[in-house]
Amino acid sequence: MNGEQPNRPFVARAAVWYRRMQVMTVKEFLQLFRDTVVLGFMVYVFTMDVYLAGSGVSLELKNATTVVHDADQSASSRELMYRFRPPYFKLDGEIAHLEQGVRLLDQGEEMLALYIPPHFQEDLRNGKPTAVQLQVDSTNSVLGLLAAGYGARIVGQFGLEAALLRLGVAGDGQENLPIIQDDHRAWFNPNQNDAWFMSISELLTDITLFAIFLPGAAMVREKERGTVEQLLVSPLSPFQIMFPKILAMTAVILVGTALSLFAVLEGVFHVPLQGSLTLFFAVTTLYVFTTAGLGMFIATLARNMAQVGMLTVLIFLPMIFLSGAWTPPEAMTYWMRGLMYISPLHYFLDASFGILLKGAGLKNLWDSILAIVLIGSINFGLGMWRFRRQFQ
Amino acid sequence: MNMKRVVVVAHKEWREIIRDRVFFSLSFIVPVVMMLLLGYGLSLDVENIPFAVVDYDRSALSRDYTYRFIGSRYFAFKGYVSDERALARLLTENRVRAAIIIPEKFQERLLNDRPVRVQTLIDGTFPSRTMITKGYVIAINSAASQELLAGYLSRKGGMPLKEARQVLQPVSLEVRFLYNQSVKSIWSIAPKLIMVILMVSPPFLTALGVVREKESGSIYNIYASTVSRGEFLFGKVTPYIAISSFNSLVLWALATQLFGAPFKGNFLFYLTATFLYLICTTGIGLLVSVLVRTQIAAMMVTAIVTLVPGVLYSGVLIPITSLTKTAQMVAHCLPAMYYTNIVVGCFLKGVGLRVLWLDTLVLVLYATALFTLGYSLFHKRPSS
Repeated sequence: MNGEQPNRPFVARAAVWYRRMQVMTVKEFLQLFRDTVVLGFMVYVFTMDVYLAGSGVSLELKNATTVVHDADQSASSRELMYRFRPPYFKLDGEIAHLEQGVRLLDQGEEMLALYIPPHFQEDLRNGKPTAVQLQVDSTNSVLGLLAAGYGARIVGQFGLEAALLRLGVAGDGQENLPIIQDDHRAWFNPNQNDAWFMSISELLTDITLFAIFLPGAAMVREKERGTVEQLLVSPLSPFQIMFPKILAMTAVILVGTALSLFAVLEGVFHVPLQGSLTLFFAVTTLYVFTTAGLGMFIATLARNMAQVGMLTVLIFLPMIFLSGAWTPPEAMTYWMRGLMYISPLHYFLDASFGILLKGAGLKNLWDSILAIVLIGSINFGLGMWRFRRQFQ
Repeated sequence: MNMKRVVVVAHKEWREIIRDRVFFSLSFIVPVVMMLLLGYGLSLDVENIPFAVVDYDRSALSRDYTYRFIGSRYFAFKGYVSDERALARLLTENRVRAAIIIPEKFQERLLNDRPVRVQTLIDGTFPSRTMITKGYVIAINSAASQELLAGYLSRKGGMPLKEARQVLQPVSLEVRFLYNQSVKSIWSIAPKLIMVILMVSPPFLTALGVVREKESGSIYNIYASTVSRGEFLFGKVTPYIAISSFNSLVLWALATQLFGAPFKGNFLFYLTATFLYLICTTGIGLLVSVLVRTQIAAMMVTAIVTLVPGVLYSGVLIPITSLTKTAQMVAHCLPAMYYTNIVVGCFLKGVGLRVLWLDTLVLVLYATALFTLGYSLFHKRPSS
């Protein structure tokens, strides 16, 4: 009996500590579940928003509207013209004058105008060099370059075939020519399904947004409503106030992630989900939990909701654009790549794409996960440190 | 409508804004930071693609062929590996994004005038980058083939190599890039960024305007006062429109001076159209603010109606014609698309009201509709 005496206060303290954590966690869950607007918004984002991002958008050249001014009106010119076809191009008919093409491009009705010169077929037959012209609306530079590239490929192939035909070499087939036959394969996403990439990256973006915004907003709302005063006079430590909040938010975000993953990604877009889902959820939990530190950090800076919103945007946007999802790391400038290496989203993205599309395991991803742990601990520590200081 | 009361309400709102120093400074900082980040960060050029090679042939020709990739500025050589198993690992771990597998008898077959199939593996995780990489691979392969064919012709037909090359390319393609002659990514992106930022930031500023008073209860002062609905709403949005107008000038200066985008159109027309667009986007914020009851909700609804459509359905990255039918409908219902036409027209194309009158008219109608809706939904005698 007496031997237990020194233990008792400890056990009792632990029980009280545990009880307080439990009460606070229940309180946070209740608060979240009663806020129908926020819940509705989360459901919308994890389903509709991911769906919209995956379905409507494709970053490739598709149906580039093309008009043709055919000054030759021959079989050859028509053959060349009809090679500009879907999925990349869409022929919108012929025009009578050169100026008409420029006007259509000015108005944004058409994207490309192709001019085939007179005597095109004649020159081709006589082996005389000839040139066709392609006017490209390059207000969107990527698509402009793609269109020019595809156009050059079509015209080059057309010319080569015509030349081989004229020289009489094509007759015995390509089996007797020393050429390199291109056999390219895209791994991990063989059909170049944009929806896979877009929906996964949108999901990861949304996870990040909530991980920052929810804890920040919840804390500032207590400040705005004045309920923070009650917390301050309660016997709770800063950790006991902050931890249950993050716990509840993380749980809700994980449920949203699961909803999105199974209902939208797998259900609608048929993303193959190659790797271990346990590993994916473990990494997501780690990421959400540590990124929440940033939200807490914002909450210590902001005094009202408007400030939370703006600060979230200010932290969230750089994270998105320096994650490597929109700009490949190879194309970044030196200092931008440096910034990218401190963005936790970059590693989360690497790990998630690795697990979901490539089927990578812990063996391949340990360095990304380690980076999430390191950067995450710093974020969490920063949030905790500011939070403690503000409470004392 | 009594102008004096409008001014008073505007004055009160302005005071409130500048006294919240964090909010006030952020309302200017956020748009500029967004512009800088997106301008420097959203480079869609694909260069220095890391790649590895498996060379089963190890001949002079296969090395020459590999050098076509090594020498290209689009690819960055990461070394030879022994077999395909090692390649798979490199691709999975993101160390390379492309891999070339040169088969055995590469040289032997080519010297005997037989075709060779060369396999290229490309990381398909990021489809748009994969497409571009694929394009580069095809271009390098066809250049190599042309060269081999020209050698073949000069050997068989006895014509000089130079002539043989020319004969193989009877048709050349002259490409003329209109509007953005040097095809700079930033030239086409910078003007559209103004559109995106002005789509996102004014509603965010305004969205909390009315709802904040609802939450804090100070709205009852308005309910009880002589200020009419119209006077209140007009006074309320004026400071936000002023802030956004100033921001739009800063953004214009950043686009033209820092990013060097050309401005070919009429400045006065541009200013008028931008002002109209600002009224539209501010109106969206106002409408949200009138409709919802809490600040969190206001911010979330604003994010839904501005962020995603502003980026995806406005023609920044993807032209409207490439969108799916539903997405096109969404795009036509939002002001962003019309303003994109105007910005691109003013900056790059140098066209004015004559071509863009319809887009301008839509903005006018949109602004009118938003404010009418906001007015009719805001009541001084709330039902609940």
